[in-house]
Amino acid sequence: MAQILIVDDSSTVRDEVTTFLKNAGLDVISAVDGKDGLVKLKSDPGIRLVVADVNMPNMDGLTMVEKIRGELGNSKVNLIMLTTESSPNMKERGKAAGVKGWIVKPFKGAAVLETFKKLVA
Amino acid sequence: MQHGTSAMNDKPVSKLLVLDDSPAHAWKIKAFCDANDLVALKVRKGAEMAVLLTNIDLGGILYCEGYGGSPEESTRIAAEIHSARPELPIIIRRETQATLAGLPAGAEQAFCAAYVASDMGALRKVIDEYIFCLMYPNALLRGIAEITTSVLSSQLKGFRISLDTPYIVRDRVIFGELFSLMPLESAWCRGYMMLQTEEDPLLEVLVREKASDAATNFRRVNDLLGEVTNLIWGAFKNRYIGDGKASNGHQVQVPLLVNHKHKYISFGSENPQLCFRYTLTDESTTRSLTLYQRFAFNLEWSPDDFAEIAHDVAGLVESGEMELF
Repeated sequence: MAQILIVDDSSTVRDEVTTFLKNAGLDVISAVDGKDGLVKLKSDPGIRLVVADVNMPNMDGLTMVEKIRGELGNSKVNLIMLTTESSPNMKERGKAAGVKGWIVKPFKGAAVLETFKKLVA
Repeated sequence: MQHGTSAMNDKPVSKLLVLDDSPAHAWKIKAFCDANDLVALKVRKGAEMAVLLTNIDLGGILYCEGYGGSPEESTRIAAEIHSARPELPIIIRRETQATLAGLPAGAEQAFCAAYVASDMGALRKVIDEYIFCLMYPNALLRGIAEITTSVLSSQLKGFRISLDTPYIVRDRVIFGELFSLMPLESAWCRGYMMLQTEEDPLLEVLVREKASDAATNFRRVNDLLGEVTNLIWGAFKNRYIGDGKASNGHQVQVPLLVNHKHKYISFGSENPQLCFRYTLTDESTTRSLTLYQRFAFNLEWSPDDFAEIAHDVAGLVESGEMELF
């Protein structure tokens, strides 16, 4: 059972974030897009935090988090967006879907590690 | 010409291949180029086509009526260049008249315009028409350089980054083996950003960082270039596009054409492209790699509407840090 699900179409980002979090002692799995993210989340009840990109093929990250809260009815998992986007409209949409935090890439692990740890505790 | 972002010139330059062997006229061309943001490149006779196959990113070609030694040879060379690189404007210096009338059969279509040495002002007009026809705001040039340098620094650690003065090209050559394309859609521009580089230097970076073999990492080169493209695009969007209506509702598109055999890309427009050339030098080995960045605003270009998005500074969160809701 993993604690954190990383959802990003970029293998560079997936590897970077996963390696950093694993080195910090956290259990991490990853998904390549929103659709894959939903599948992985459904199949692993241990996931406490989803860190997702916005712009992805097949299903974007905001649609995915809306489905997590809506279709999956999962109101417990914590949702963080890790994206190049910083538009207020997108943040509002994320907030409305229950997103707890917004990180504009590039990922700087040290800046967010403590928060991630609290969210999976 | 090479320098860091802080000293970057605001005005783009362009390179001209000079195929004019008149010693009497050489100083005039040099003075003209110096005064008009142009870089003159000379080539020895017979090497024209070889040079045109290299990555020199040209804006156009200055030609002269007697180049090659005879009218027939001059026509042949011009026709060959035009056939190989039809996107490059070839401007011919004539002895007596600044028109294309009276050139040998088959030569007229190779040239876009003519000038005479006694009227270099007319040449300036041709350069403005064919090369510097699009105005690029200084703030945009500086912003692109800042964004890209910052992204490259974040993704390729341990590299010193320098960039040339931005330049304008009509070349359509795809440099190296690898390129990415990203659409840019806003109320003031519609087109593409293209990044071009070579695979081997990037592979070396990955192999060194991951301590594994090239065979398993070659696909990661794509991912790295993709992520660099994504990060530049995101920062560009956040800084210059924002939440505004992306494209004024236009749905117009034109096909892009990629010809691998000739390493050629067409954006379906004759517009010159805005280019940046970044050199990344590994500080531990001093080996370097080059990244070319092109902006082809082929669908819309309205620089009068260009504006930087004003952010609420008090509410800004640094990139990489989390904004909690």
